[in-house]
Amino acid sequence: MAITSLSFILFIIAVFIAYFAVPKRFQWIVLLVTSTVFYLSYGIKSALYIFVTASTIYGATRWMQSITDNQKKYLKENKATLSKEEKSAYKDKNKKARKRIMVLTLLLNVGILCVFKYFHFALEQVNAVIGLFGGNQISDVYKFIVPLGISFYTFQSVGYLVDVYFEYYSAEKNYFKVLLFVTFFPQMTQGPISDFEKLSKELFTEYTLDYKNYSWGLQRMVWGFAKKMLIADTLAPMVKDVFTNYSQYTGITTLIGAFLYSIQIYADFSGYMDIMCGICEVMGIKLTENFDRPYFSKSIAEYWRRWHISLGDWFKKYIYYTIGMSNWSRKLATKTKDKFGKHLGNTVPATVALIVVWTATGLWHGATWAYIAWGLVNGLFIIFSLWMEPVYAGAKSKLKINDNNWAWQAFQILRTFILVTFIKVLPEVGTLSDGIGLWRQVFTNHVIPHTKMELMPYVNWKHNVDILAFLLAMFFTFLQFCASVIQNKQPVRAYFNKLPQVVRVFIIAVLVVLIASFGVQATWDAGGFMYANY
Amino acid sequence: MDELMDILMEIDPDIDYANETNLIDGKVLDSMSILALITEICDVFDIEIGPKWMRNENFNSVEAMWNMIQAIQEEE
Repeated sequence: MAITSLSFILFIIAVFIAYFAVPKRFQWIVLLVTSTVFYLSYGIKSALYIFVTASTIYGATRWMQSITDNQKKYLKENKATLSKEEKSAYKDKNKKARKRIMVLTLLLNVGILCVFKYFHFALEQVNAVIGLFGGNQISDVYKFIVPLGISFYTFQSVGYLVDVYFEYYSAEKNYFKVLLFVTFFPQMTQGPISDFEKLSKELFTEYTLDYKNYSWGLQRMVWGFAKKMLIADTLAPMVKDVFTNYSQYTGITTLIGAFLYSIQIYADFSGYMDIMCGICEVMGIKLTENFDRPYFSKSIAEYWRRWHISLGDWFKKYIYYTIGMSNWSRKLATKTKDKFGKHLGNTVPATVALIVVWTATGLWHGATWAYIAWGLVNGLFIIFSLWMEPVYAGAKSKLKINDNNWAWQAFQILRTFILVTFIKVLPEVGTLSDGIGLWRQVFTNHVIPHTKMELMPYVNWKHNVDILAFLLAMFFTFLQFCASVIQNKQPVRAYFNKLPQVVRVFIIAVLVVLIASFGVQATWDAGGFMYANY
Repeated sequence: MDELMDILMEIDPDIDYANETNLIDGKVLDSMSILALITEICDVFDIEIGPKWMRNENFNSVEAMWNMIQAIQEEE
């Protein structure tokens, strides 16, 4: 069931009706049933794996919880008779048992993810090594259909498992509530990757149909469809053309194509988030936000705090801090402090953690060397900025640069957007050498195009409808830019909802007509959402 | 408490630590500053901050951090 299809719209209408028609205590059951239906619409085989994940995570968390509960009970009952050493030995034994359960469940679920996502890549590397020694290569006869949203639901489930292990909160007793947490359809295919504690509060609260939620939710859905269908899907074939034929295009043509890609991927991913957040808002559910105007960031590190926020938070919570706070990382920091001073010493844990996190982030996005390189380039920029912080601060002070100066801020934003665009295209062109080839093309082919056909050959200038679709995509990109500028000062949605109802209905109606006129064809040609491939 | 304040002032002297109660949730401190902060706290107070203490509420204010340090010292 494609999100941009009529069947999905009908499905959502059915969900809304059922959700508010049943007694409130059954609302979450409606979400569970509809989420299951949604997932099954992509195939029964694929659904098997999400049930394995939900079931093993449920079993493991309940088991760990029972050990914790029994321990508390036992220690309370035998408080007077047990010595300090006996208590400590008993706690250690239980801790080891809980750790075994957590590690095995983690390995099983991450293992499933790795087999589906990385088997072919790993085999390629093994064959490359065998090839070096002239051995017989292993034939890759396995064909896997990657289960829908496996990267997202596995990370979310593993997060819950680890949280229960560290006793951040208790394990959920009801299996079906855990199943809903894992399969909840608005966030299962492309995130956000939610925290159980936060999402469960939203999912299991009872809601009454509220006019504000209903109208604001619908508005956000329509805006999301407009971003996806009028911007992202219109630009998709043009970007594809640039990535395929960049070696024949001039540097400026290729550069414009790269910027179009930045616009496309933001409209695609944030459009999806707007649709899903809008659906949830109608039902009174607040979904974790995944974007905070990322193209207005003043550094790469800030950009990653504002783009795909939930994935960044997941890596931060479960990998970055675990590595950065490990004993060996801190010992290394102490040694570095002694030799190279306090600043560099204090950056060691972050540096080590960032290298691991960014390699993992690259691999999470795709099993290719280009994605690994993309992750490392991002990481290296952040690490370099971290190391150079005192130098930057000194230089800014000498040059009397005020951080609040608008021109300086605009420069930082523009610089970050350009850098982010160059990094973004690296894994998307094809192989790593294709990505580097596109960079080279931008900087080495200085031919100046003289006509619009030469400047942007990927726009079909011969057909008025295609030109209009392109201009509409640019207009909506400009609108998005304006909305982001306003958002910096006041919430855009509150501002929109102050308009007379007639005007609001008119604007929404125009958007719907434009989506139906231009977006449907563009989406038909472009296909699904980009992040669904991750 | 003064030692903790010294560490924080070294991380970012522009923050009003005495009144700020949203250091993490409000994204006043970024993850790199937090790691530098933890490294310094562990060194100065000779404690280990295990993953179970890594919750936003333990780092949102100076008072919360101080309570966490004392709780870890008692536990150790």
